Amino acid sequence: MNFRTLISIVALAVIMTACNHPTIPTNAQQESRLPRIYPDYTEVTIPCNICPLNFAVQEGESEVVAKFTYPGGENLYGEEQNVLIDEEDWQNMLKASIGKSIQVEVYTKKGNDWKAFKPFNIYVAEDSIDSYISYRVIQPSYVAYERLSINQRNLTNFEEREIYNNMSVSTEETGQCINCHSYQNFKTDNMLFHMRQGFGGTMLVVNGELRKIDLKTDETLSAGVYPAWHPTKNLIAFSTNKTGQSFHTKDLNKIEVQDTESDLILYDVDKNEVSIISELDDELEVFPTWSPDGKKLYFCSAHFIYKNDSISKETEMIQRYKEVKYNLYCADFNPDTKEFSNVEMIYNAADSLNQSVTLPRVSPDGRYLLFAQAEFGCFHVWHADADIYMMDLKTMQVQKMDAVNSPRSESYPTWSSNGRWIMVDSRRDDGNYTRPYIAYFDKQGKAHKPFAVPQKDPNFYTFFLRSFNRPEFMVEPVTITPQTFTKKAKEEAVKAKFVQ
Amino acid sequence: MVSAAPKQSVVTKQTSEPNVKEKKPFMLSKGFAVGISITVTVIVAAMGAYYLIVENSDMLFMAQTQSFFTTNRIFLEECMHQPGGLISWAASFLTQFFYYPALGSAIMIALWVASMWLSKLAFKVRIEWMAVLALPTFCLLASMIDMGYWLYYLKQTGYWFYGTVGYLVCMLLLFFHSLFKKPMDRIITTILIAVTYPFFGWYTLLAQLYIAFISIANSIKSSKKVVETEESDGKKEKSLAYKISRPLIPFVLIAVIPLICYQLYPDIRLGDAWRIGLPEFANNDFISFYPTIPFVVLSIIPIIFPFLPKKQEMKGGMAWAVCLISIALLVASWVWVGKRNYQDYNYHAEMRMYRATEEQDWEKVLEEMSNLPGDASRQMVLTKNVALINTGQIGTKMFKYNNMGKRPDNGFDTLHVHMVQTAGSQLYYYHGKTNFASRWCIENSVEFGYDFDNLKLLSRCALVNGEMDVAKKYLNILKTSLFHREWAERLLPITEKPELIKNYHEFDNVRTLYNHMGTTLDGDNGLVEMYLLNYFSNTMNKDDKLLQEVTLLYSLVQKDIKLFWPHFFLYAKLHDKEKMPVHYQEAALLYGKLEPQTVNIEGMPFDEQVTESYEGFQQLSQSLLQTGMKPEEVGKAMKDTYGDTFFWFYFFCRNLYTY
Repeated sequence: MNFRTLISIVALAVIMTACNHPTIPTNAQQESRLPRIYPDYTEVTIPCNICPLNFAVQEGESEVVAKFTYPGGENLYGEEQNVLIDEEDWQNMLKASIGKSIQVEVYTKKGNDWKAFKPFNIYVAEDSIDSYISYRVIQPSYVAYERLSINQRNLTNFEEREIYNNMSVSTEETGQCINCHSYQNFKTDNMLFHMRQGFGGTMLVVNGELRKIDLKTDETLSAGVYPAWHPTKNLIAFSTNKTGQSFHTKDLNKIEVQDTESDLILYDVDKNEVSIISELDDELEVFPTWSPDGKKLYFCSAHFIYKNDSISKETEMIQRYKEVKYNLYCADFNPDTKEFSNVEMIYNAADSLNQSVTLPRVSPDGRYLLFAQAEFGCFHVWHADADIYMMDLKTMQVQKMDAVNSPRSESYPTWSSNGRWIMVDSRRDDGNYTRPYIAYFDKQGKAHKPFAVPQKDPNFYTFFLRSFNRPEFMVEPVTITPQTFTKKAKEEAVKAKFVQ
Repeated sequence: MVSAAPKQSVVTKQTSEPNVKEKKPFMLSKGFAVGISITVTVIVAAMGAYYLIVENSDMLFMAQTQSFFTTNRIFLEECMHQPGGLISWAASFLTQFFYYPALGSAIMIALWVASMWLSKLAFKVRIEWMAVLALPTFCLLASMIDMGYWLYYLKQTGYWFYGTVGYLVCMLLLFFHSLFKKPMDRIITTILIAVTYPFFGWYTLLAQLYIAFISIANSIKSSKKVVETEESDGKKEKSLAYKISRPLIPFVLIAVIPLICYQLYPDIRLGDAWRIGLPEFANNDFISFYPTIPFVVLSIIPIIFPFLPKKQEMKGGMAWAVCLISIALLVASWVWVGKRNYQDYNYHAEMRMYRATEEQDWEKVLEEMSNLPGDASRQMVLTKNVALINTGQIGTKMFKYNNMGKRPDNGFDTLHVHMVQTAGSQLYYYHGKTNFASRWCIENSVEFGYDFDNLKLLSRCALVNGEMDVAKKYLNILKTSLFHREWAERLLPITEKPELIKNYHEFDNVRTLYNHMGTTLDGDNGLVEMYLLNYFSNTMNKDDKLLQEVTLLYSLVQKDIKLFWPHFFLYAKLHDKEKMPVHYQEAALLYGKLEPQTVNIEGMPFDEQVTESYEGFQQLSQSLLQTGMKPEEVGKAMKDTYGDTFFWFYFFCRNLYTY
């Protein structure tokens, strides 16, 4: 064979593949149920700017055809068991379907027989979604860490890029663990993430300028852990935590992550100063979050008194881990004087419900507050009973978000910048690997069925053996390159000052 | 590109004295030269077959279980996260064939032979020099068999075929380059080859290095003689700029290309950009250079290929030298490879036992222990105990086998081996501790990547735990592999109908242990045996005979008299009217004698054989001690007679190294 023959064969194969368009079977037998598809996109409401919802049909059939009917036309797709939608077609479908729906009919073939499943709808909301999300890509958390990255994903297409990868700085003994990224008002010119162990410190981007700060002071428990940027001021509320990890011998929750101590601090970015927000002896304060006007700080706190002086706090915490239950608190904040006042428990989950509240997030309009709730503890990603709840801050009524929850763990709720989309970390797929799910939140305050962040390969989540932690919305991408972060990460951190 | 092969260079001017009558040089006949090359090829294949298949097939099977490949695009994308990703991907694919060690070895040897002959073409070396061209393949062979326990700590995806595929690719790139004769074509191909860095990493850089040295060699040769070079396509090569730029360009590309690519790969360190693909053997704060040596030698050797004399350069006597050099190189290589072959008995036995345990071939596990020439490692002892538990012989045969604790030792470095990395998950699984087994599968995958072995264990744990969705996920991934597909397909029905697990008897004992175990919040600090010892010896279980016996077993190993008695009495109660196994009798008799105030053993119906053995043991030990022998010497002296009793274990099995 010569080169010319090879090119001819390849070209012919390409042409033949291109010619292989799916067609609708004429003699399909009608099924009365919906098709089993993965990810489950049946009857979901999606943003008008989301990327194609590619899916796999899990009916064990050899061939699949899906007909997408939208106002103004229809399209057919099908490649073996997968439905892979052309991106340009999809944008046209979305444009034509805003405020309406796309109907999907799925046909599957087994042998020579075709089946037609009950059609389902994909509702296209008038509301768009923030173009970007970011998350930490990590193995289901245990003790070892290597190959950790914080990635950003463009939701309008399938592009994913690393913001920072811990392998770029060091490995082995000096390896580092990266965690908790946060943005001010969904924008990336003020953002941060934290690095532990080798080359540890908090990477802070302030007005686009990169800094590395050591937030640990002699007067505080640890460096900043769970962060919350103030919406208008260059201030960041952090929790400081002494965290431990232990393992269930049989319980399917497998891991408990517990704080033996925790407090809240405020970091003044401009002055590089750390001050205490709350450090009560018998309280484990954690998960600060600001109201959109910056005049209230919400946080969680568990009342816990150590009773046994003969054993370490860590040992006692392991023995009494189920007694740790967090309530929801709110404190007034004066952004000008930086003073906190009127600390008030706004949701008593521990005593009245025997439950534990974590990860509060206020909607951008200040009306609603989402949080994760489970029977005990603070690390609900490993608690199968963890669900998302919502408090109406006008009426202070709390409701479980049934539409969003699953029998498995839901945690880390967050809002899009327009307040119309909520994203949660869910283990609904298999109980072990967290995936970001997005749900529409309509103007009436009702959440709709969530859908997994779409992937180009519909089997991506099946084959991907890492979790997506702490998903956050962003209105723009992080433009600082990983190499720039790496260079800064290698520098000595600037020590923050402690002020009373 | 010149399509036809160039004619051999023609000497246009004689630089030697024109009046001296030249002696006709002794040349190897063509047939003899071919003979040498074929002999060398056969020797490479034979050495490969011997060291891989005969000496290391257990290790190759383990290598395959410790690697991973799936046809899914995600795996390709993960490989491509680093320069050289395509080699990782291809190497991972080929490593699967070590499931049948002979098949994998045959493929590997074929690739070595191919790269050897390709290097002949790429460097335009005469076949007389085949022994020199074979040296890189000996390096590749050495790199397969010399790493010892680093096998469990490999971080390079597709390590086992990485060097072989990489070197072959490197030779292919050079061969491609050699097809072009015109100076400008060669510069363009040099640049094109540099662009392959994201796919081939280190081996692209090596190709550049060799191109530089080919150019240098050609320049030297053309300056020594006025020769019409092949490259000048019949014209005399005179351009000084060309002579300088030819070797300079590859060096510049070597310096620049990784630097450019560094900007595209967020997870590589700048300092590593020039050596990605060259394996590093690092674990925490420890780096061993020893296993890297073959790769360094492999990289250096081809530099000399362009300088090997061509036919017209071979003077009288050179032919003999070629023969002698070839023989010397082959002998030296054989000695070197033989020396690097890691032959620790326990290292190989552990792998065979691991595989037998995975296949639940308990007789094979026990057979390995019976054949043990020296002391066992604790991993082997624990695996042996697992086999005895599963065959119901723990109480009667536990001390019939070696119970010592020889430290796993690489010999050539101080790698600190941890059982959690070598067999921790498997041992936890067979003790019914599926959460801890899963945990270490995932912890290890964080550091060394997922592999078939931990995916299989994760699947099993999930099935026992009743986590059917995640079991299905792991099994579906395994279903895409070449040789674990059937295994996965056999278990997949359980994920749809969990009650089917009852029909899969391989899960019976693990499920029994798991189901009867309580739950608590715990941690092992990375020490498998210590954790199992403490957990089970401190657990009292009345509900299940199997679990209860495991707790009794660990109370024996604990050598704690107070811990033993409750377990012993509970065993007796649960096994009413059954014969008390010999080792439990031995322990009861010994502890009763040592601490009569704790339990009165007067009325216990000990076997006559047990009491005789105890009395004999006491008499002999006392008499030996009275001769002035040290306790260790007494232990050694009594091992043959009483080494299979609990008495001997209690007094003389001490200072065991667990890890």
